[in-house]
Amino acid sequence: MFTPELKKGSIGMLVLALLEARARHGYEIGKLIELRSGGRLTFALPTLYPTLLRLENRGLIKGRWVEKAGERSRCFYKLTPAGKRVLADQRANWQAYVSAINDVLGTGDA
Amino acid sequence: MRDWQAYVRSHLRVPDLTPEREARVVRELASQLEDFEREARARGMDETAAEAHAQAQITDWDRLSRDVLRADRPHMQPAAERLAIRIESRGGSLMFAHLLRDGRFAVRQFLRKPGFTIIAVLTLALGIGTTSAMFSVVNGVLLKPMPYPDSDALVRVNEVVPQYGAFSVAPANFLDWRQQSGVFERIAAYSGTGGTFAFTDGPERIQGTSVSWDLFELLRIAPARGSGFTAAQDVPNANNVIVLSHALWERRFNSDPAVVGRPVTVNGTAMTIAGVMPAKFFFPNRTAEFWRPIALNPANATRGGHFLGVIARLKPGVAIGSANVEMKSIAERLAAQYPNNSAGESAEVVSMHEQVVGAIRPALLTLFAAVGVVVLIACANVANLLLVRASVREKEIAVRTALGAGRGRLAMQMFVESAILGVTGGAVGLLLAYLIIPTIQTLGAGSVPRVADVAIDVRVLAFTMAASLLTGLLFGLAPAWQVSRDRSATVLKEGGRSSTTTGGRWVRSVLLVGEVALSIVLLVGATLLLRSFARITHVDPGFKPEGVLAFQIALPAAGYPDEPRRIAFFDTFFEKFQAAPDVRAAGMVQALPMRGGYVLSFDISGRPKAEPGKELSANHRVVSPGYFQAMAIPLRRGRLFTDQDREKSKMVALVDEAFVKRHFPEEEPIGRGVDIGNGTDGFYEIVGVVGDVQTSALGEAAVPTMYVPYKQDVFSQMWVVARARSGDPAGMTGAVRQVLREIDPTLPAFQITPLATVVSDTVAQRRFSMMLLALFAGVALFLAAVGLYGVVSYVVSQRTREIGLRMAMGAGPSQIVRMVLGGGMKLAVLGVVIGLAGAYALSKYVETLLYEVTPSDPASYAGTAGILLAVAALACYVPARRAMRVDPLIALQAE
Repeated sequence: MFTPELKKGSIGMLVLALLEARARHGYEIGKLIELRSGGRLTFALPTLYPTLLRLENRGLIKGRWVEKAGERSRCFYKLTPAGKRVLADQRANWQAYVSAINDVLGTGDA
Repeated sequence: MRDWQAYVRSHLRVPDLTPEREARVVRELASQLEDFEREARARGMDETAAEAHAQAQITDWDRLSRDVLRADRPHMQPAAERLAIRIESRGGSLMFAHLLRDGRFAVRQFLRKPGFTIIAVLTLALGIGTTSAMFSVVNGVLLKPMPYPDSDALVRVNEVVPQYGAFSVAPANFLDWRQQSGVFERIAAYSGTGGTFAFTDGPERIQGTSVSWDLFELLRIAPARGSGFTAAQDVPNANNVIVLSHALWERRFNSDPAVVGRPVTVNGTAMTIAGVMPAKFFFPNRTAEFWRPIALNPANATRGGHFLGVIARLKPGVAIGSANVEMKSIAERLAAQYPNNSAGESAEVVSMHEQVVGAIRPALLTLFAAVGVVVLIACANVANLLLVRASVREKEIAVRTALGAGRGRLAMQMFVESAILGVTGGAVGLLLAYLIIPTIQTLGAGSVPRVADVAIDVRVLAFTMAASLLTGLLFGLAPAWQVSRDRSATVLKEGGRSSTTTGGRWVRSVLLVGEVALSIVLLVGATLLLRSFARITHVDPGFKPEGVLAFQIALPAAGYPDEPRRIAFFDTFFEKFQAAPDVRAAGMVQALPMRGGYVLSFDISGRPKAEPGKELSANHRVVSPGYFQAMAIPLRRGRLFTDQDREKSKMVALVDEAFVKRHFPEEEPIGRGVDIGNGTDGFYEIVGVVGDVQTSALGEAAVPTMYVPYKQDVFSQMWVVARARSGDPAGMTGAVRQVLREIDPTLPAFQITPLATVVSDTVAQRRFSMMLLALFAGVALFLAAVGLYGVVSYVVSQRTREIGLRMAMGAGPSQIVRMVLGGGMKLAVLGVVIGLAGAYALSKYVETLLYEVTPSDPASYAGTAGILLAVAALACYVPARRAMRVDPLIALQAE
């Protein structure tokens, strides 16, 4: 559907956005992206996992092994304060970009 | 359910990650694959299909491995560990992998203890740096071949005369040698010369060398431009061609590419420039800036005047020894053939390199040995530091042993640490050497031959590297030995309290005593040299050089062909020059004191003529009347020369006290006559006796000297000496130039030098040896003090509890200080005693460098011991004071 380049540029932002509300584990993040995009966006594990490592190494997210009642222990990632700032910044940027692109593209009748 | 962790582990290849990180990545990927499988099962797939579904999530494991590594760079293993793993996984040497790990571990240890590391590295850098600097001197001066192709075959041929030993060569002898010898490919003569070049901006005196036409062929270095000389040019009146040095060509001919063939006026004669030598060429030394055919005339070559240097290239396969035998027999045959001039003479063949550096070799090797001692001291210091550290690390080491590290592995770990320290110290030391070398070159300029060749080259680098590793091994021995003894059980039982074993303390004490002793040896040597230098610089040269300016004037044969014109020139010169306001007294001499003698034979009136080869000889100085006042040479008896001692007047001479002592021990010399072999006929009547003057260097026995008036023995090149009223010799330079411009603007004054500099230059080599040895001794003293301080501090820190206990039992601070000070000083005193004995045993090696100080000079030994003990007391007192302030309560609670 979308080119890999397009997807690659946005995956970091998507992960951060998904972690804004609460901590999630890796599998859950992959599934949520697919779900929220109505199946239009999917990220395979080999793409998603290195992204998590990279975001963590940049100090934007933090993984922690948590064992929830009745479940196996999983690594849950949560947004760090730095991650929050970066997400806000990226989100504003993205929206400004999209609106600018839309203004240029217009509706086709101007 | 499948074991996903095992599955991931068998597919993912991330060896570069740290083991902890790798485990986490594996666990998480496995956890996610398990999620995929569970979800598939929940959707109703059977187990096989669900597993296949999960496996399908990751198809390209190589790519994932790469992406993970790239994303997880911060958790990569350090480079050394990655390399070690790679070596192991490819079946490489396990030993090397171990070395890498040990090295990395060592570096981490060092970085964790920066204080220790800095002290150890600086100590080693001081030791290795001074050694490298000194080695670069030994390398540049003694080891590097002379800068001519196949220089091993280059030799000097000297005459050997009965009175003086190795000597310059007489032209007639050289011509015969060239004809009769069969061992040389070529043989050439040379002689220093000066040329007054007429440049558009004024005359300049330039040093040059007259050489046999084929000298460049002999040296196998061709001119970079133009050509050398031909045999046809090497004859009188055909030799008005010169070859320029590269430096002169650049400086005075603007690197003119068309310079070859250009005319140039030298000493008033038109000459042609035949060629320019390559940039780095020099012969016989760097002061010679042009060359000219020597044009010896076989028809009237002298056998009595010795002034040529002779260089030759051995034929292939001819050894110096056999050349020596042949030249000896030729020279002795000539001596028998010409007994009047050459009785008793012989010849010797010496390698060119030996002739240049032979005299300085003992001093350089002594200094090199001294610097080796500095390295030993540095090693002892660092070994002590490592021992202290090893005892602090006993627990770590015991744990490693308990975990299965063999003694060999532990010893190796210690050696690797030492090697790393050594190499780091060596690298810093090399930097130090780089900084020291220019100072050494300045210090050695003029007194150490080839000092300009001193530089850090491949050989110096290799030496430094080897020295670093060797010192590393040396100071690593002690801790490696200590650690290799199996003591893990005891240490663990003691609960890890660092314990000073008697063995460790013993080694430390030995090292300390050793370094104190070595420092004493160096200090004694330096003190002996220092005292010698002080004595020699206080020797009275027989004249007062302060405030006197010396310079040369050379009258070219072209403008001043005869004696009347030369005499007239100098008469006018002195008349005008002495009128200059700052000139108190001025005179001249043909051979300046401290620049060597000018020896002539003579007969004494009323005594039988000596047999050939047994003539009397003395220094001959031709002077103007003002010379004695300008130099402040005292008159002892009789009278000095006056303006009335002229060409046609009675021939008169002065002699010095050494001359009287030697030749008129019981008689009155005044009124007697000397017939001097200077080309004049008849006797000079001795009219006075003057004080002795040192001939070629401070501190030498005075050579008997006779003086005659300038006007009765005219020279064309003279040294003028002038005493300044102001006391500042340089102030007269302007007046010199002004007067010369007025009389003859084509004449330059040259070698303008304060006489005090001429005198101090004669002890430059002594100064060089003394300064370097003093520097090394200073470094040694400093290192010994640091070592003593370190060990005593450590002992204090180890005995804190005991000290506390003593104080609790009523010991006063002064008792504690005495106890600590006593412990350190006992070692220092022992070291001093051993060192004094060692210095005494070794002192004969500096004997040749001493002056009026015996190798067993008691003052030097006592003074040195005093200095070292004082420094040692200071080094012990600082930690002793710390011990004094120990709070008994805290010290006892610490356990």
